[in-house]
Amino acid sequence: MALSTRPIAVAAGLLAGLALTACSGLTPSTNGDSGDQLVLRVQGKPSPTDKAALDQFDRLVAEFEKQNPGIKIEGTENKWDPLTFATKLAGKSIEDVIQAPLTEPPGLIARKQVQPITGPLKSWNHYQEFNPQVLKVLSDSAGDVYGVPLAPFAQGLVYNRKLFTQAGLNPDKPPTTWDEVRAAAKQIAEKTGKAGFVHESKGNTGGWQLTMGTYSRGGSMESEQGGKYVASFNSEPTKSALTWLQTLRWSDNAMGQNHLVDQDDVVKQFAAGQIGMFMGTPGTYRLAKMKFGLKNTADYGITSLPQSGGSATLAGADVFMVPASVSKEKAEAAVKWLLFAYIEPQFDPQVAAERAKELAANPEAAVGVPTLPLFSAAQQEKINAATKPYVNVELENFKPWLDGTAKLQLQPEPPVAAQKVYTILDTVVQSVLTKRDADIAALLAKAEADVNKVLAAEQK
Amino acid sequence: MTTALATRPETPAAVPEPPVRRRRAAGVRRELVGVLFLLPALVIFGLFSWWPILRGLLISFQQTNLVDPATWVGLENFRALTEDPLVGTAVQNTLLFVGLGLLIGFPAPLILAAVMSTIRRGAGVYRVLVYLPVVIPPVVAILLWKWFYDPGSGLFNTLLGQIGLGPYPWLQSSDTAMLSLVLESTWAGMGGAVLIYLAAMTGIPAELYEAAETDGASMWKRIWHIMLPQLRPVIGLLLLLQLLSTVQVFTEPYIFTQGGPDNSTVTVLLLIFRYAFQDGEYGQAAALSVLLAIVLAVLSAIYLRLTRSWSTS
Repeated sequence: MALSTRPIAVAAGLLAGLALTACSGLTPSTNGDSGDQLVLRVQGKPSPTDKAALDQFDRLVAEFEKQNPGIKIEGTENKWDPLTFATKLAGKSIEDVIQAPLTEPPGLIARKQVQPITGPLKSWNHYQEFNPQVLKVLSDSAGDVYGVPLAPFAQGLVYNRKLFTQAGLNPDKPPTTWDEVRAAAKQIAEKTGKAGFVHESKGNTGGWQLTMGTYSRGGSMESEQGGKYVASFNSEPTKSALTWLQTLRWSDNAMGQNHLVDQDDVVKQFAAGQIGMFMGTPGTYRLAKMKFGLKNTADYGITSLPQSGGSATLAGADVFMVPASVSKEKAEAAVKWLLFAYIEPQFDPQVAAERAKELAANPEAAVGVPTLPLFSAAQQEKINAATKPYVNVELENFKPWLDGTAKLQLQPEPPVAAQKVYTILDTVVQSVLTKRDADIAALLAKAEADVNKVLAAEQK
Repeated sequence: MTTALATRPETPAAVPEPPVRRRRAAGVRRELVGVLFLLPALVIFGLFSWWPILRGLLISFQQTNLVDPATWVGLENFRALTEDPLVGTAVQNTLLFVGLGLLIGFPAPLILAAVMSTIRRGAGVYRVLVYLPVVIPPVVAILLWKWFYDPGSGLFNTLLGQIGLGPYPWLQSSDTAMLSLVLESTWAGMGGAVLIYLAAMTGIPAELYEAAETDGASMWKRIWHIMLPQLRPVIGLLLLLQLLSTVQVFTEPYIFTQGGPDNSTVTVLLLIFRYAFQDGEYGQAAALSVLLAIVLAVLSAIYLRLTRSWSTS
């Protein structure tokens, strides 16, 4: 009898222990609140390698908690990660504030995986002063706003000033048209042996950059017909952008040898001095310096997106959003945090100056990388004047971008299923870059048919 | 009376037999113990294997954003798959990977094991060298090979350039990208198979070879008529295991090429990944997973059938 009950007890004990462990591991973090305090888990905490920004983040959290005793901020270094987002969302373990690139909001909004924050955002005194163009890309058709941007950018042309000089080009007069880019790329390749110009092509970046090329030639990716969006890229501007690439790749041989690359690959090679030019935002300065170790930051130059028949560029930014699974109470607290941490320094010159001063205390930080005005241009001028003493980036090397972009129209991503459209167009760009005899007309016709199928399914 | 006495059963008083109720209780208790010991494994399997499988099956008939309640859409997700031209491309590419894997990746460890079995001195060193790639994390190995394949400064083109060959585009061309993936995965995965073949080869009785040698059989005849038939069960087993793993190829195309160039390395699993994590089409991803699972189930059934027949033969 004793022998037979012991195994039962052991097994039951094991099971109980396992069940407890499993339960503790599987229980969703509910709201993680302690007592009366509301715990807000936010993405956007800088990595330990960016010590200056991390110190500033910690100071901001302390100050915010002092001003809002009922809210406790828990920062995470996580950023938008498609691999874990859906799982964390379903398991209700996603942070209460997420940080994603501007390519993501349309999909997240369409799938209702993020929630509108229009209400709490409107209660801010200066809501009406937001640049409507910037908020438009974060809104749905009903006008509800789903996020706030951190430093809005416009795509431009990043170039290596040192390679320009070595190739006999004037780095203070960067190319303004695609013909000039081609000539410069050819010259860089011939004189230095490096890639003159590199176009991204994988992980949807090929379609994304083709969109930039199309906008700058006066084209569009999608257009509205009878209340529904259809593909509009099978037209002269996109054809011209692809033909230009084909010539640069196969006739001029000025694009290096690696043609299956994404943004990280390109910036890494750029930081190593292997690339003359690529399409990107001023944010790539930070990426090149902090992540890929660009030694001589004075080599970094950026100008506005070259134009050939268009007068437009693609907007870009990192944005903060609130997942749909977050409670209303937390969403309100999240907006409070976003206004305090990210929006006020882009509006209030005094706050901007204080933040810039703190950051500039560490020479490793990049202070003053220009952005587009989140409010009016006049407000941005005030901010620029207030932060000027603390700027440690070579502002003069960003001047061509600032001057040129002011004259361009900011275009958003394609309105419907942008990522799916980019996936299909990646293939077109890859074909042009890897097949000498690629038939551009046939490739675009097939891509148009494929995209129209996707768009039709999305707009059912 | 006598008859009655004669047919009387053995008296229970001498060896007391437990009553039926008590015997049953002991049996139930024994079973309960078994079930209790089994429960932890059942709970773990249930939570982390069976429930996700069941949930995946359900999602394949639903439309969901994983936040709001899902809506039932019948076979809509499966119908959407038939309309996506990439599904056909992904199936073709996966079959190409499987085929190239059979052509290159399957015989390579067998040949290597046959050669290594003849080496007497330093055999251990060779075994370690062959097995080493298996120990390297797959992502590290792939990133390493990405540099090997670099068309400009990569190891392969530099070495081949020394003897006047190339440069070859490797991952940069839709004609050679899949082959490049197969070469890496063969290198990375063959260590285990080589060791299994070597172990099986040591199990072949030496007398068979000696007898054949005495009869004047050449080396090829000895391989063909002795070694290969003796290794048949192992070859069959490894063949099916390779088929099962190559049908599910993901890491290589994901890290090397992300499906490019020109969709030439988009595989079924990479497409499932794109549906779920890029497009947020969880229903479509689940539907394609269900179809893939059916194919894998068929392959597994063949595997079980064959291994059963081999073990009885």
